[in-house]
Amino acid sequence: MSAVDQKDAAPAIAIEHLTKRFDGNTAVDDVNINVPPGSFLVLVGPSGCGKSTLLRMLAGLEPPTEGQITFGGKVVSSGASGVQTNAASRNAGLVFQSYALWPHKTVEGNIDWPLKVAGWSKGERETRIDEVLKFLDIEALRQRYPAEISGGQQQRVAIARTIGPSPGILLLDEPLSNLDAKLRVDMRSELMRIHRGTKATSVYVTHDQVEAMTMATHVAVLRDGRVEQFGTPDDLLLKPQTTFVATFLGTPAGNLMPVSRNGDVFAFGGIDLAPVGIAPNIETAQLLYRAQDITVGKRDGRPSVKATYTESAPIAGQSMVTCMIGDLRVTAIVDGYFRAEPGAEVELCFLRDPDAVFDNAGKRVTA
Amino acid sequence: MTGLVRQRSRAARLLQARNFVPFVMVCITAILVIMPLLRIVQISLGPEGLMAWSDVTASRLSTNLLWRPITNTMILGAFVASGCLLLGGFLAWLVVLTDVPFRRFLGILSTLPFMIPSFAAALAWGTLFRNDRLGGQPGYFVANGLYIPDWLAWGLLPTLIVLVAHYYSLAYTMIAAALSSVSADLVESAEMAGAKKSHILFGILLPVVTPALVAGGMLTFAGAVSNFAAPALLGAPVRMQTLSTRIYGMVQTGNIERGYVLALILIVAAAALLFFSDRLVSGRKAFTTVTGKGARTKRFTLGKWRWPLFVIAVALGMMTTVIPVLVLFASSMAQQSSGLFTNWTLHFWIGPAGTELAQGQAGIFRDPILLGSIATTIRLGLTVAATTMLIGLVIAHTIVRYKGTFLGNTLSQLAFLPLFIPSIAMAAAYIAMYGTSIGPIPALYGTFTLLVLAATANLMPYAVQSGRAVLSQISTDIEESAKMTGAGPVRRMFEIVLPLAVRGVLAGGTLVFIKIVRDLSLVVLLFSSTTPVLSMMAFNYAGLGFMQFANAITLVILVICLIASALVYLLQNRIQGWKTT
Repeated sequence: MSAVDQKDAAPAIAIEHLTKRFDGNTAVDDVNINVPPGSFLVLVGPSGCGKSTLLRMLAGLEPPTEGQITFGGKVVSSGASGVQTNAASRNAGLVFQSYALWPHKTVEGNIDWPLKVAGWSKGERETRIDEVLKFLDIEALRQRYPAEISGGQQQRVAIARTIGPSPGILLLDEPLSNLDAKLRVDMRSELMRIHRGTKATSVYVTHDQVEAMTMATHVAVLRDGRVEQFGTPDDLLLKPQTTFVATFLGTPAGNLMPVSRNGDVFAFGGIDLAPVGIAPNIETAQLLYRAQDITVGKRDGRPSVKATYTESAPIAGQSMVTCMIGDLRVTAIVDGYFRAEPGAEVELCFLRDPDAVFDNAGKRVTA
Repeated sequence: MTGLVRQRSRAARLLQARNFVPFVMVCITAILVIMPLLRIVQISLGPEGLMAWSDVTASRLSTNLLWRPITNTMILGAFVASGCLLLGGFLAWLVVLTDVPFRRFLGILSTLPFMIPSFAAALAWGTLFRNDRLGGQPGYFVANGLYIPDWLAWGLLPTLIVLVAHYYSLAYTMIAAALSSVSADLVESAEMAGAKKSHILFGILLPVVTPALVAGGMLTFAGAVSNFAAPALLGAPVRMQTLSTRIYGMVQTGNIERGYVLALILIVAAAALLFFSDRLVSGRKAFTTVTGKGARTKRFTLGKWRWPLFVIAVALGMMTTVIPVLVLFASSMAQQSSGLFTNWTLHFWIGPAGTELAQGQAGIFRDPILLGSIATTIRLGLTVAATTMLIGLVIAHTIVRYKGTFLGNTLSQLAFLPLFIPSIAMAAAYIAMYGTSIGPIPALYGTFTLLVLAATANLMPYAVQSGRAVLSQISTDIEESAKMTGAGPVRRMFEIVLPLAVRGVLAGGTLVFIKIVRDLSLVVLLFSSTTPVLSMMAFNYAGLGFMQFANAITLVILVICLIASALVYLLQNRIQGWKTT
């Protein structure tokens, strides 16, 4: 039953109306997600958004309060009927954030034990151990104990251990959060290679939107236990449905300008920013401007606003300039190298019309 | 392979499969701890029990039965606690916060006295200071012509000194731990803010160690109040009674209900005290953990006091560890108490019967009863270490994993209840509970089984505590990652939890082993001729005036404890090579 065979039959993972409550607190609230086999689903959101609880329910470590989870057409968890297949029989493997390697077993022992528990013969186990050690390039560590290897190596062992029994679904809980910045970038592409190599469907939890945007085939942005938006990374970036998504994703994140209708224009603090034609039926709105749509210095025919310079960071030949307009933080992009005295007054110019319009509740108004 | 768990009604949930283990553990602890307590309450409320209550609290006898003993007990408790805090606090300050030389050595030396049973110190005191008030062989000083007044030889003062010498290391351990949690950053940030030394002491150090001071004071108080060996050896011969010795006396002379009533009073007194002290410090506990990371501590310079203070600390340590042991050893080799260090003989160890020495008795290693009792003592120690650590580990695991649930909370409270029950009172309760047959269970009085049961109950808090320490090193993740493979609970226990726990289990088991092997207050009531243990034999010999035998047996106990610690140390290093890096 390879993942490819099921492609048309059923989604690899189907989450329906999934809800989890702890003592009256709702950690996960009516979540609905469907992904086809071979997907790389990233659950992203700020801490406390319920993404880890969702992952633990997928792993079978927590039963749902309501709703159900289906893996390849088979119900594995259901709040209503009380079905809760145990962790092992879901054909899913989990890589823990802490790696959770068994410290009294060698690298080899860590990979071997799950196979042993699953009832593999000695010969099969030896072959498989060689395979995964090679796949993750950690053959030299075979006889070492977890305490004797580095964090990045422990990470590889944790992954090797999880993919050992060839699970159809690979669950990863913030796997890169304990690694240093450079290793994190390397490991990102390594994880994608592993995902392709195992042909498994992966679910990856992170609070880092960069990881989400670079690795995912599908992204679910979570906030307060609910799915804020679900789609491909490009969907989410180009068509954010809420201000939360618009300001959470993207490097740098988008700017939101609160405006109110003044005749036939939307105005920000007395300055006309955009014609009301883009969203004819509302009085007040929030306009989404990408950082690259704002720059420093006046341009003819384009609206500009006075702001206070705070900081600037060079990025690939451009400068990401952060300014404050009152309490509002605005990020602009300036070509070349830009510096100013912190506290200095600068003119922020809006080069293009807004990318999207949101109402005051944060919902997208424009198509 | 598919495991189904169906939702059930609220009422049935308590008996659900996942609640089976905590439920069983609650039952076991209830049988071990609650039932015996209820039984003595029940007996004390029967007709004879009510008589005993009025005899003890409101009759002509009550001065001797209750008021004088309880006064002595409280005096001992208060003075021992203050003495321990002073000595322990001084040493902790010296070792942790100053630049005294050989700090590590002093640290180890200061924890040692607690390893030596209090009756060893009491016997050593008697060997040196005993006077001729009771007849029999006088002590070393009197035999050499020195005058030793009664107040120095017997009663309150020597008992007090012996107990302080025994318990101060407990206070030291707690205060030192609290002090070392004060990181240098804390002190230096105060210095940067311009605080003077006195500001730092009263503003930072004292508030941080206050919980440890209170806890140390209360534990040493409770220890002194419930100690049996020291007042029995040094006080009882001159009729200085404490509640512990009174309970023993009542049970021995057949006034068993009076014994139970006194035991109840002792339990209530000890429990009330520990309960309130816990209340007092519970709000401050956060202090001790917040700064747990401060490995680097700020040391104050002692200047010219460095060496004098070092000498004082070493002298304290020597007087409470090496010297008592040396005195016991010399005494077990000496023919006359006047010449502890001359005319040595091995008679008291291996001599034949029928000589002029020791009234014709043979040395201890020729006494079949004593040889038997060595075996019994070791068997008792091993059995109790095994039972308590097993129960302790399962209870600790259950408490941690079922935290916040009703059964989990109940279990946690039940498991620590024995801390509030002085062991002699626990022993009395066990006689009340299992002394006669209940249904199919035969009367257990005087049996090895009863000793094991009582000791398991008595030491359960220590076992649960070390179990928790062990398990805290095994994260939930590690267990869940094992769960993800599909391994069942038993397999996870044996292949993941136990291998990781083994080192801590051995350490906890050693602690339990040592505690029970050198225990007197628990076995003294549950002892019988069929199950003699070493501490009891030493106590009996001391009562008969055969100090050399008593001292020799005490040394045997010490050696057993030492060997056990050494063996476990070696074993630990062998089995967990993976932890060395």
